[in-house]
Amino acid sequence: MLSALLYLRLTSLKNLLLTRLRRLRQPKYLFGAVVGVAYFWFLFFRRLGAGPSVVVTNVSILGLPATRGSLALLVAPLGALLLLAMITLAWVLPTEKPGLAFTEAEAAFLFPAPLSRRTLIHFKLLGSQFAILFTSLFFTLLSNRWTSLGGNTLTHAVGWWVILSTLNLHAAGAVLTLTRLIDGGVSPALRRVVVFGGMAVLFGTSFAWVWHDLSAAPAAPINGFGPFLLTFLNGGTLHWLLWPFKLVLGPFLAADASSFLLALGPALLILAALYFWVMQMNAAFEEASLGLAEKRAAAIAAWRSGKRFSVRVRPNPPGRRPPFALRGTGRPELAFLWKNLLATHAWLNGRTFRLCAVVIVVGCLWLARHPEWHTQQMMVGGGALIAGGYIMLLGPQIARQDLRSDLVNADVLKTYPLPGWQVVLGELFAPVTILSGLLWLVLLTAGLAFAPHGASAAWLTPGVRVTGGACLALVVPPLVALQLLVPNAAAVLFPGWFHSGRARGGGIDVMGQRLIFGLGQMFVLLLALLPVGLAAVVLVLAFSWLIGLPAAVVLATVAVLTVLMGEVWCGVWLIGERFEKLDLSAELRG
Amino acid sequence: MIEVESLSKNYGTFAAVRGLSFTVRPGEVLGLVGPNGAGKTTTLRCLAGIIPASSGTAHIAGHDVAADPVAAKRALAFFPDEPRLFDYLTVRQHLNFVARIYGVANHEQLAQPLLEELEIADKADELPGALSRGMKQKLAIACGLLHAPRVMFFDEPLTGLDPLGIRRMKDSILKRARDGAAIVLSSHLLHLLEEVCSHVLILKKGEKIADGTLAEVAARFSNGEAGVSLEEIFIRATGGSES
Repeated sequence: MLSALLYLRLTSLKNLLLTRLRRLRQPKYLFGAVVGVAYFWFLFFRRLGAGPSVVVTNVSILGLPATRGSLALLVAPLGALLLLAMITLAWVLPTEKPGLAFTEAEAAFLFPAPLSRRTLIHFKLLGSQFAILFTSLFFTLLSNRWTSLGGNTLTHAVGWWVILSTLNLHAAGAVLTLTRLIDGGVSPALRRVVVFGGMAVLFGTSFAWVWHDLSAAPAAPINGFGPFLLTFLNGGTLHWLLWPFKLVLGPFLAADASSFLLALGPALLILAALYFWVMQMNAAFEEASLGLAEKRAAAIAAWRSGKRFSVRVRPNPPGRRPPFALRGTGRPELAFLWKNLLATHAWLNGRTFRLCAVVIVVGCLWLARHPEWHTQQMMVGGGALIAGGYIMLLGPQIARQDLRSDLVNADVLKTYPLPGWQVVLGELFAPVTILSGLLWLVLLTAGLAFAPHGASAAWLTPGVRVTGGACLALVVPPLVALQLLVPNAAAVLFPGWFHSGRARGGGIDVMGQRLIFGLGQMFVLLLALLPVGLAAVVLVLAFSWLIGLPAAVVLATVAVLTVLMGEVWCGVWLIGERFEKLDLSAELRG
Repeated sequence: MIEVESLSKNYGTFAAVRGLSFTVRPGEVLGLVGPNGAGKTTTLRCLAGIIPASSGTAHIAGHDVAADPVAAKRALAFFPDEPRLFDYLTVRQHLNFVARIYGVANHEQLAQPLLEELEIADKADELPGALSRGMKQKLAIACGLLHAPRVMFFDEPLTGLDPLGIRRMKDSILKRARDGAAIVLSSHLLHLLEEVCSHVLILKKGEKIADGTLAEVAARFSNGEAGVSLEEIFIRATGGSES
């Protein structure tokens, strides 16, 4: 029977690869694949032949000597602690029967088939191995650069396989055991009390043990957080609790071939024990697995339809209060803003923004009144600017409450009695509003945190700062709109590309396509901003001596706004024209 | 009200619709029938201004769909076979949104009787996720009817409706036709077309095989027999297959 299941897995894998290869005949995938392969080459493979590069990891800030051994000493117990946390979560999180992760098709074909539960579990474990092998290879590419840990590509690959297989087998065992526990009437609350209580006792005992040992030997004090952490994790009851997890990590952390072989034996024994445990469990997992399969299918469908953040915890959430009252008459673009704001998270509303603004103002003013907190004040300002940069660059990719999310409803939108530019403009309003709000908060933070000091900053008078901040705030919405035009233009200019990223699965070619979009967005931003920025600088320099700095900044802002609004208008009009001619059925035929 | 002249739609070298011409006057219900892939949905989508025709013209309420799409769309409503709704708008919010798009000032007064007529008034504050397939279809229909369109295109309008819903839908279509709307209805349910349509147009491979009143088309394919059903006419006209 397993041969049939193996056939299903291997044939599916082969067909997947063939499909991916065949689609490379389309230039959009081929081009994406070339970019994706080049990215992988430069990021990972280029280093393979060149030998290990030296990565210096600074552990001295933890109070440990800056040697390779220090890092390895720290990684083993910390890694073990991480594994312990992951395994604990598997016992704590589920509130109902968790179920094994089968796809809907697998459940539909295999559950009614004359297969024993044990065979089904074998099928599940076998299927997981394909994903584990692939993930191990990918993680190996990443960890190959962590030369501070020692080992080589092979030991890292096998090490990752051991770790992931252990986690996978444990997850299966936990699912089956939890199913039996729930069937036996053990409530989630009781289970959590037992698990958390047990952990608290073990950690508390260990801490007391280590503390007692340290107090008993005052002649050898421990200085620094790192040494204390090492002593804590390697001593007391935690030493024994983390011991099996350290064994699992052993092959990955082995510095050379002989220690790898020595570490492999115990790790494989743990794997065998877990396998024996899973095979001994006879739990009725089918019903919960069916429910899980349906949820996963719904989540995948939501992802493929572009609603990647709409996987709901509750199947039927209630409707939300609208962001503002929408009358039957007026600018139709506002209806799109209204609709798209309703599609965002409930907490993304004006009240949240106002509350954040109040917190920022109070916090920054408090910091400004305490000179001893000057460093933290600068850090807040710097953090705000970094956040602003990320919002500017990544925001348009994340805030997708525009044409990208509505492309699936293109047929409906096109029946509306509106020219294309009005639909596009309306669709842009929601992400522009959200991102502008966030950037205004960033500006507010930076403006308040960066209080000028000293004679060199005397020209930064309150008037200049307020004027500059207000002018920057005015420039933000058209700038964000300009950014958003790029992905929206991509959605209507290359709907085949756009859809390919969602509806036809992943792959290196699709990753390459996303890279192209990202680069395109940055290129357009530079192209649009460079001349405007230069012109603004020239205007400020030319007019500040004549009409004063604040007035010159205002003049430059008016010029910048005019150009940016013109660029946005052209973009909206062009995308609107294209949207009117868009025929998805024709685009997606290829 | 609907005037179509030599309408064609090509996808590359594939001709989905070829030289289609017909007229639907106020009060008429035209049944669009044909085998799978005959070009019915493509025709409706071209007429609704969703996709551009490759050649030919279509006038809706006197407005050229290609030259003046906004005016044409203001007069029409398109009802797709699969209701496409916004996940995060409740039933009432859908109508509110559509009202703003079409500029329906008194939408609250219009929406309630419409919801009651379609029997989804008790679901007014539910999101689409909480609605059955049939209720979603009813909501899509309510959205289309809110601005009192003079031209309506239905693409398989009865999919997902229960028997009572089908009856109400038929009554609703006939009521709108009596009120002067021009309606085109595409469906594989030939008994429905027999009950609702005043005219029929048979398509095959994107080409018109026959059109006219039910009696006229029946006379053409009945070979002198009396009481020939539309189903029999359809099979005789199309050969009963896609090819």
